[in-house]
Amino acid sequence: MKVPLSWLKEYVDVPVSAAELADRLTFSGLEVEGIAHVGVDYTGVVVAEVLAVERHPQADRLVVCRVHNGREERRVVCGATNFGPGDRVPLAEPGAILANGMKIKSAVIRGERSDGMLCAEDELGLGDRHDGILVLPRDVQPGTPFADIAGPQETVLEIEVTPNRPDCLSMIGVAREVAALLGGSLRWPEIPLEERGGPIGEKTRVDVEDPEGCPRYTARLLEGATVGPAPRWMRQRLTWAGVRPINNIVDVTNYVMLECGQPLHAFDLDCLAERRIVVRRARAAERLMTLDGREHKLAPEMLVISDAAHPVAVAGIMGGESSGITESTQNVLLESACFSASDIRRTAKRMGLSSESSYRFERGVDIGGIEWASRRAASLMAACSGGILARGVIDVFRKPPVPRRVRMRFARARQLLGVELPNEEMTAIFERLQLPVVERDNEQCVVQAPTFRVDLEQEADLIEEVARVHGLDAVPAADPQARLVTDADDTVIRRRQVCRERLRGLGLTEIVNYSFISDRLADLISVGPAEKRVRLPNPLTADHALLRDSLIPQVVETLGRNRARQADRAALFEMGRAFFLNEEGRPTEEERLCVGLMGPIGSSDPIRRAAPSPVEMFLWIKGLLAAVTDALGIGVPGAWPYKADGLRLEPADDLFFEPGFGARVWLGDKPCGRLGLVAGRVREEWRLADPVSVMELLTDMVSQRVFDIPVGRTPSVYPAVDRDVAMVVNQTVTHEAVLRVIQRAAPPELADVRLFDVFEHERLGPGRKSMAYSMTYRSREKTLTDEAVNRLHEAIKKVLRDELAAEIRES
Amino acid sequence: MKPRDIQLLQEAALAEARQAATIEALEAVRVRYLGRRGLLPEVMQGLKDLPPTERPEAGRYANDLKEALTALIQERKQVLANRTVAGQTGFDVSRPGAWRGYGRRHPISRIIEEVTDIFFRMGFTVADGPDIETEYHNFDALNTPADHPSRDIQDTFWLEDGSLLRTQTSPVQIRVMESRRPPIRIIAPGRCYRRDTVDATHSANFHQIEGLYVDRAVSLAQLKGDLTYFARHLMGPDVRVRFRPHYFPFTEPSLEYDFSCHVCGGKGCRVCKQSGWIEISGAGMVNPKVLRQVGYDPETVTGYAFGMGVERIAMIKFGIEDIRLLYDNDIRFLEQFGA
Repeated sequence: MKVPLSWLKEYVDVPVSAAELADRLTFSGLEVEGIAHVGVDYTGVVVAEVLAVERHPQADRLVVCRVHNGREERRVVCGATNFGPGDRVPLAEPGAILANGMKIKSAVIRGERSDGMLCAEDELGLGDRHDGILVLPRDVQPGTPFADIAGPQETVLEIEVTPNRPDCLSMIGVAREVAALLGGSLRWPEIPLEERGGPIGEKTRVDVEDPEGCPRYTARLLEGATVGPAPRWMRQRLTWAGVRPINNIVDVTNYVMLECGQPLHAFDLDCLAERRIVVRRARAAERLMTLDGREHKLAPEMLVISDAAHPVAVAGIMGGESSGITESTQNVLLESACFSASDIRRTAKRMGLSSESSYRFERGVDIGGIEWASRRAASLMAACSGGILARGVIDVFRKPPVPRRVRMRFARARQLLGVELPNEEMTAIFERLQLPVVERDNEQCVVQAPTFRVDLEQEADLIEEVARVHGLDAVPAADPQARLVTDADDTVIRRRQVCRERLRGLGLTEIVNYSFISDRLADLISVGPAEKRVRLPNPLTADHALLRDSLIPQVVETLGRNRARQADRAALFEMGRAFFLNEEGRPTEEERLCVGLMGPIGSSDPIRRAAPSPVEMFLWIKGLLAAVTDALGIGVPGAWPYKADGLRLEPADDLFFEPGFGARVWLGDKPCGRLGLVAGRVREEWRLADPVSVMELLTDMVSQRVFDIPVGRTPSVYPAVDRDVAMVVNQTVTHEAVLRVIQRAAPPELADVRLFDVFEHERLGPGRKSMAYSMTYRSREKTLTDEAVNRLHEAIKKVLRDELAAEIRES
Repeated sequence: MKPRDIQLLQEAALAEARQAATIEALEAVRVRYLGRRGLLPEVMQGLKDLPPTERPEAGRYANDLKEALTALIQERKQVLANRTVAGQTGFDVSRPGAWRGYGRRHPISRIIEEVTDIFFRMGFTVADGPDIETEYHNFDALNTPADHPSRDIQDTFWLEDGSLLRTQTSPVQIRVMESRRPPIRIIAPGRCYRRDTVDATHSANFHQIEGLYVDRAVSLAQLKGDLTYFARHLMGPDVRVRFRPHYFPFTEPSLEYDFSCHVCGGKGCRVCKQSGWIEISGAGMVNPKVLRQVGYDPETVTGYAFGMGVERIAMIKFGIEDIRLLYDNDIRFLEQFGA
């Protein structure tokens, strides 16, 4: 809301500076977002007398003028022709800078020298008319600085009006606040109303068929009006307030709306069938061309203003083109009405149409101020257009609302605010705000909410009035308190936090990506099934078309982006939510953690530059998985003792993995993630030449044991005995399969089993490989003898032979 | 030599031994004091000339000198020998070490962790809720009905089934209050979404932290006290908190709170755009309509609620100029934020 200060001062005294006023308003809830000093520096613009106007020899549309600026004669080339010798016009001389930033210089225009420029209204920041040079009264002396006749510059407050305060969407509303804050009184404009025409009831009629949608409708008539420009002061104020002047009739409706907050509409009475108004719901298949030139199909729930036959306006939102005010309009029907806020909002949204009018109706207008606005506008219209007002007003107001009475307990206000404020001070605040206190005793008071304050409904609303006028900043800061809530449980969230800290501890740097990804990226790295993706019906950009169904695509993308910026290595992780459709087809979400590695990051050699081999890169991410799960207390995959409900890996065939280097991670019988090398086809997208690995895990599953209580067993005091076993097995035999077999035959003395060598060689035979394990035997009860260990070890070898067809290589 | 002089001699001898920078110099010290014609044998010789009363004491001191100096020379010899070896092998101790470093904390996480840690100390627990919310939790229950202009403040991403991406963390308030009885004391960080075109200060998804305290007789003065404690621990010990009235549908009274500028202390600088204050976010007393909506009795309990934008605080605290840097994940950028 733009509030020109000079306009505001018409209704209230402002004995303080603009900056201080802005401060006071801001600290009472009307935030002043800016103070603009408009108008305009007129240095270099003077009044000149036109001496002669001649055609430009080289250009049909230009003229060459001789003008006198009070001191000397100047030649100026000009594009307008609405003036002649003897006229006084504004001349911007070389060196002047105009309102639109244009710098005036001497120039040669199509071969004719021009020393300055004659100005139109818009060039002087006085309005937006550009249909000719501004012609001034002839009694102005040439040479007069233009600033002397343009009036002072204007200061405009830009106020952010919150949705609960529609009363402040007007000059008078703001003035009422100013009066309350600065202690002045509100001055209402006088309305000289001469109704010289016949009774309005004989000339038109208003039928409100839907009083729910339209609780009040008033109409006045202006006859024999001449449509033309509004007076300059009015156009000036509208321009300052950000509204484009159109013509005297329309400008008055806008002016009065800005003045008191009541939207108004003017119809050309002669364009209304049977010269009458019906307020009703639209009928099926009805159409309307609105003033902005758009044609709308109306739906039956939309409230319209209609004449005897067709809709002529969308109620409260925008008028129709066919009944709008034009230069030939003579008879005007002035509407001042009130429409249901939610009706207006629904319709405006549905039509994709909004206006200053709908903006106010949506928030609520003062149903008690409708007739005042009608009178005020009628009076101004008559004065500006020379028309004659019909006698009286049509006012369809079937059910005036019962005034709301709101009670406030003084003690409650003091308690809620934590401020010791005397009762009298609180009631004084209400009175200053023009909120009548209709009852009061020592405990409480009752305020009758005026019709312009649609926001006052409950006690808390009155307490807020007290707080904001007393000054929220005057609320003391109580000593901060610690207070425990014993039954609150945030274990799951704190587990995730532990996860985050463990990942950082492992040397991974945290990244944060958007929740949105593009179809292209999701297709390139397709982690979840495509039919389970959650699509945004109205994405802002194609890059944000989907909710991510995995963190992997963006982690790879981030590696690629960093590679493009010459990073040669990175170890990154992200924790966040992935989204997908569940079994019922409803969008749902899940906490994930994702790791991405690039470059020789897993090497213990800090200055290594050689790129990792695929196997190396896979082992790094696998090792990282082990480190993460170990750090989170759910064990290490492939570690002894083998547990059936522990972590294990199975080959995965996802297409974004390099063939043979992808794996699903299981925790017992539940899938809990995947890891592997990113396929070359995918890496190409970011020109990632060397192996890149990723891992994604379900955060809540892998962090479930973080707060488990460990058991502190005393370590065995007896010595350990190591025995190795080397064997040749089929290539399909996995490390996990070996562990599974050993587990079945393992004696309690088998304390550890470690794989220490794997190799393939042609002499082993096709499809065969060698695996070498080191076993540690240790008893908790006694020192094991060689014979005892040998016996145990032979038993293990036997199951390996029996169950895996292993050839044990005896050394 | 008097006993006292022997002590002084010991001090001098030890100092010389410590200062000897080479094996040769150290040997010279040894010869000077302990050698056959050194100072110590001379002292020993002189013992017999002392009065009998002083003799035992002087003897003890002379022995002390011998032991201490011998031990020190021995130790210094090894040190100097080590130094020579190190010099000869040429191992460069300034070479980079071989252990993986600590990972970096993203500035968004860092702020969330700092903020929640401060509120933990005041007895808050963390809460969270889904990113995909119902219209009821995100709007209706927060006194923001459909067809009400207060919805315009937040342009919403709706999903096909009528659910939405939460526009604020406030629905967590509703979820927590629905599930428990007062007192409630929660801090709820989370991701939010608005249909904002991305630019230097706007992001289509961003993070908020919501705080809620509902109990008997909670007051606005307490909110101010608690936020002041918070501000000082987050931004610095001298930071002040300022309230400005505002409007939110779910609080009444509503306000926006500012911190005094931590850079200039309120005098005005580039960071606070010369105003001395930095706008943080919104807060207020929980609207009785919201309490009633979750089945609480506004006559017996009141509450305060506050929110804050994580990205905004990160930008202010770390001097980050463009919000997009937070989602760009350039490791050169992230490395600046410590572990």
